[in-house]
Amino acid sequence: MSKLNETDIQGFVLRGYNLPFGRYIFIHFKNPDRAVVLISKLLPMITTGQRWDNGKPPSTVNIAFTHRGLAALALPDATLLSFPVEFQQGMKKRAEILGDTGRNAPERWDAVWHGDEVHAWLGINGLTAEALETCCSQVRALFAETGGAIELAAQDAVSNMVNGQQTGKEHFGYTDGFGNPDYLGIERNSQPGHGKQLPDGSWAPLATGELLLGYADEAGELPIAPIPHILASNGTFMVYRKLHQNVATFRKFLDEQSANYGGGREKLAAKLIGRWRDGTPLELAPDAPDQSIVKDPTRNTNFTYGADGAGTRCPIGAHMRRAHPRDAFGFNGKLIDRRRITRRGQTYGRFVPEGESASDAEDRGVVFMVLNANISRQFEFVQQQWIEYGNDAKQGNDKDPLIGNHGGHGKFVVQGDRSASNPPLICGHLPNFVELRGGDYFFIPSITALGMIAMKLVDPR
Amino acid sequence: MPNNSGKVYGLTILSPIINDDRATPSHDLQIRSYLAGLSTGQDSPFALAPGTHLARLVVMDDVVFVGAPAVEEHLNSKYLIFESNCDAGPDGSIDGYLNGLAEHAAEHLDAIWSHCVGYPGAADRAAFIRYMKACQLETTFFFAAINDKSVPETLRALQTQRAVADFIESHQGVEPEKLRAEFLKLVSALDAAPLPTVASAIVSRDIKIGGRNE
Repeated sequence: MSKLNETDIQGFVLRGYNLPFGRYIFIHFKNPDRAVVLISKLLPMITTGQRWDNGKPPSTVNIAFTHRGLAALALPDATLLSFPVEFQQGMKKRAEILGDTGRNAPERWDAVWHGDEVHAWLGINGLTAEALETCCSQVRALFAETGGAIELAAQDAVSNMVNGQQTGKEHFGYTDGFGNPDYLGIERNSQPGHGKQLPDGSWAPLATGELLLGYADEAGELPIAPIPHILASNGTFMVYRKLHQNVATFRKFLDEQSANYGGGREKLAAKLIGRWRDGTPLELAPDAPDQSIVKDPTRNTNFTYGADGAGTRCPIGAHMRRAHPRDAFGFNGKLIDRRRITRRGQTYGRFVPEGESASDAEDRGVVFMVLNANISRQFEFVQQQWIEYGNDAKQGNDKDPLIGNHGGHGKFVVQGDRSASNPPLICGHLPNFVELRGGDYFFIPSITALGMIAMKLVDPR
Repeated sequence: MPNNSGKVYGLTILSPIINDDRATPSHDLQIRSYLAGLSTGQDSPFALAPGTHLARLVVMDDVVFVGAPAVEEHLNSKYLIFESNCDAGPDGSIDGYLNGLAEHAAEHLDAIWSHCVGYPGAADRAAFIRYMKACQLETTFFFAAINDKSVPETLRALQTQRAVADFIESHQGVEPEKLRAEFLKLVSALDAAPLPTVASAIVSRDIKIGGRNE
């Protein structure tokens, strides 16, 4: 296929900006006429997918809408009703099928999610804290000037830093952000392991329609999309989830369980996720971390599980092996090509390095954002079947050890062998290391679609 | 033996539903209405009778017309479809399973199949088995998302797996003497434990499943 029109696609969809400062502003539209004026004024500020040949900009702005938000903008009913059901319902109504119950139930989410007030998400990122503030002031001035929106809440996010340097780590200490999928037509520094596996073992980009509406997906079909076509094309859906991290609980768990584990504390941490905390994949280096692999893009995502069916290198229930099973279910990974998601994420709250005391009550975690063409088929399937259940991985009712909603009843099996440094271990009574604090489903329109919305030209006929 | 996979049998039965203009409501609607009220728990006919892993009863009205250029086709009759993954007898046959259904769930079978053409009733066991087998379709491709062991073996294995996993989890690092003693205790407890009953062994999951996502 030919190259995509990067000037028509929001930049956030095509690349992770990796800018250290972020703020996600949630707004409510009071009046459709004033709201579309706001959108038309925001439009020139929206960051597109155009390449940054002259280095990163000081700040970026992107926008996405809930279904209620699109209704508040007075889009035609025939258009509103043509959106996929899960998007019309929103994430809160999908709580039961996502396993967002108990400690993760909507009643326990942040106040901003309690009503159904959130109409749009503005994602703003900055190279510096000052650049972020400047950009936010400009955006907020437009709220006031147009009277188009009121701000409900803002979620700050900042990459974890040590001595002013981005660590690339999340709060549990794992180096994050290795493997997002490649898609046909999207220019990106591609590396083995990012796309889908072909029968000969090589890797190829996924069909564009797994990420963007208006293009063929892995089944050769167009993703379910709203009408008119031009409103949907070059757009995608985003799942926004604020994931609180219980760092104290996590560290206590590692301390207690590793006391009985011959592999030691760091290896246990690695077994939970499938990578050593410095990012080395267990499949490639089961005995010790190896920075030469982490730094090598031809190796750090270039592995499969086929030769490790027993899970003695990377446990079968490890987070990474569940969320992206590669070839673990056989058929050269063909079974998972329609279950891939693109992830954007940024940490929030103060980073507490190991050795300093941390409390679960402190506000820290990760703002986890998923991009996919079909929320039901991609994100919801992964969440329901691979994170909150274990059948496909032959792990029975076991959930994802790291992000599963265990409620104190979880179990995680670390498969092992006869060596003293890699023994088997069964961890029981798993608590929730991660808790959901809110979120919703959003539509990220193309630049063209934003213009149509701003000019009230959306016409489903 | 494409109907068999290990000790499991892939059974498909298509019974033509009586087409009688004078029946009110029609026989297919009467089957639908009965099936809608049928228990899926411990009172299910498939829990009352032994040997069912999974079973499904469906009323098929007709083949679906998918639009031009497909040829428009119709079935000669409405059918009751009965599909079951069940335990085969030692000789690989289905007779014992059907006999068990007739013995333990005759009332349900008669209520459902009495709307089908030529059904002799479950009371005449030989005629019942002959009828079911006459309506049977050969399973040409057996795909089972379960293993090929019998229902009692599967229930026992699940019980053992859970008990052993819990045991290991709570006994890691225990010194050998004590571990051995406790393990022997576990083994005799498991030996003495009654076989879990069908449909009672389900661990409740705090997630809404089914539909498009599963």
